[in-house]
Amino acid sequence: MRKARAGGDDEAVRQNGSSSRRRTDQHPGDGEDHDSSSGGVQDDDDDNDLGLRREIRSKYRDLINSVQQNREDMLSPSNNKLTEVLEEANKLFKDVRQAREAALDAQLLVVATDLGKEKASQLFSEGSAFDPTAFAEHLLSFMGLNRLEDEDDEPPNGCAGDGYLPKDAWHRLARRAECCFRTAPSFHYMMGSFYTEPPPPKQRIERQRKAPSKEAKRIMPTQLKKMEESHQEATEKEVERILGYLKSYYQDDPSPISYYEFVIDPNSFSRTVENIFHTSFLIRDGLARLKLDSDKLPCIEPVEEGEVEAAGSFSRKQCIVSISPKIWRELIDVFEIKETIIQPPEMQSE
Amino acid sequence: MTQRKRLSNVQSSSQSKRQSNSFMTQEEDEDATFTQPSTSQVQRGLEKLTPAQVDQKTAEVVQYILVKDQKKIPVRRADLVKHVVKDYRTVYPEIIKRAMRTFEQVFGLKLVEIDSKNHMYVLVNNLDASTARPSPVERPSNPKMGLLFVILSVIFMKGGVVRENLIWNTLKKLRVDPGQRHEEFGDVRKVITDEFVRQRYLEYVRIPHTEPVEYEFRWGQRSDMEVSRAQILEFMGQLHEQDPRSWTQQYREAHSAASSSQASSSNHR
Repeated sequence: MRKARAGGDDEAVRQNGSSSRRRTDQHPGDGEDHDSSSGGVQDDDDDNDLGLRREIRSKYRDLINSVQQNREDMLSPSNNKLTEVLEEANKLFKDVRQAREAALDAQLLVVATDLGKEKASQLFSEGSAFDPTAFAEHLLSFMGLNRLEDEDDEPPNGCAGDGYLPKDAWHRLARRAECCFRTAPSFHYMMGSFYTEPPPPKQRIERQRKAPSKEAKRIMPTQLKKMEESHQEATEKEVERILGYLKSYYQDDPSPISYYEFVIDPNSFSRTVENIFHTSFLIRDGLARLKLDSDKLPCIEPVEEGEVEAAGSFSRKQCIVSISPKIWRELIDVFEIKETIIQPPEMQSE
Repeated sequence: MTQRKRLSNVQSSSQSKRQSNSFMTQEEDEDATFTQPSTSQVQRGLEKLTPAQVDQKTAEVVQYILVKDQKKIPVRRADLVKHVVKDYRTVYPEIIKRAMRTFEQVFGLKLVEIDSKNHMYVLVNNLDASTARPSPVERPSNPKMGLLFVILSVIFMKGGVVRENLIWNTLKKLRVDPGQRHEEFGDVRKVITDEFVRQRYLEYVRIPHTEPVEYEFRWGQRSDMEVSRAQILEFMGQLHEQDPRSWTQQYREAHSAASSSQASSSNHR
């Protein structure tokens, strides 16, 4: 520090000491920018002083900020910015009267000397200094920065500077930097690691497929069974039922019943056909007998229980019965069949 | 005597662990206080095991370390003992010795203990990269290595320690802003102060008596092992079109005898 400043120091300190004591006694709780003065023993130009105090403090703060923000700039050996700051501070210090301003001056001193120390370390190092700013510039060129000629265009990457960094900029740098590293290559299994994901989906699919098929199978047999049963049952039931009708009719009237009267259902042709079909079973099984009566018309009679076996030994004759709706209607007219002997199954009342 | 010393070291480290991790079970406690068995203990242990068993255990250790190294986070001895070595801990030194040999002879890698206090290992390439020809296979490069390179270079050229602001400002000039998300690196601050630090590429240390808090960057233990200062200086020379020797102090440091292995901090202290 210069001698003049040192001299100024002592005076200022003494003045500050006394004035600050006075001030602090009277106003212990001063706000930062608020500087109240009391009456009594004061300078005449106190009001001007207030403004001046504030100005000095704000200038100091500006100086401190500029040193902190532009640290790299100040460090650069190419300029004397740090010296300029110190000279500014010197000028300001002449007007310093209070402890608060002196404190700011001290703070600036700390920051500036810190910077000074770094600058000095640069000086003492032999060989060329290293400038990170220049380094950054060189790196940008290496990474392939395209400096735009047109400064009006807004660069797509924000930040300062013009130019456009290509997408592979950092890859380019990394590749060159690789030779400085002795990194062990990362070990990875060639076939990748064990994932448990593929197997579960397969299982799920299989199970899904199996499930419906099993159910389907289960459904099928029961359905089939039912069908078969129904077929068999239906036919057997029908046949037995018809046998029942035949026998009961025969009990009432033990003479052979006209075949046509027996099978024909005047209300339904299809029922008639069914009756013929079912009756044929009776005859096949030997439970009923078809023969021609005196008028050469077919008639049917049940076979006695005892005769069933014997009847089986008789030679059987086969015949085919056919009927068409026309013949059916003719038969109804000729035989005057008003009602059916064989009741249709749905209409069984008993 | 050495065992007692080691015990105290381990105890202090385990104490700090207890402070930080209050959920330590008794099992973990035992492993934290794993003491290196003596050579006589190792001999006795080896007698009880067949060579095949020891080889098998060595192979398991090698595999474990290889996989753990994928993320480049150092392998802790405690983890190794707890998860792999387990009952063979009496012959641990022998197993590590064999593992190191396997790494060197089979993989061309070096297993190095970068932290003798906390016992952490990293894998480093044993092959000399500078003399190696460029790989015939195009391997995808990791852009983070470029970022790391910039930071390490600045720290090295600046004498081994820099305040964090210098790094942030330099990176800003390269369009990398810690306050913004970078399209290549994402959360830049996290990558640098967390990922690189955990990988031991960088050290991010608080400067005492600073208000507001400031940190400084140094080379990490892994960088000391993996990164060649001489190579960095070469690249510097190319970039600035200067002779690397013009940076005399850095040149001296890069080519000193200790530079290839664990280098001490710079001589600017």
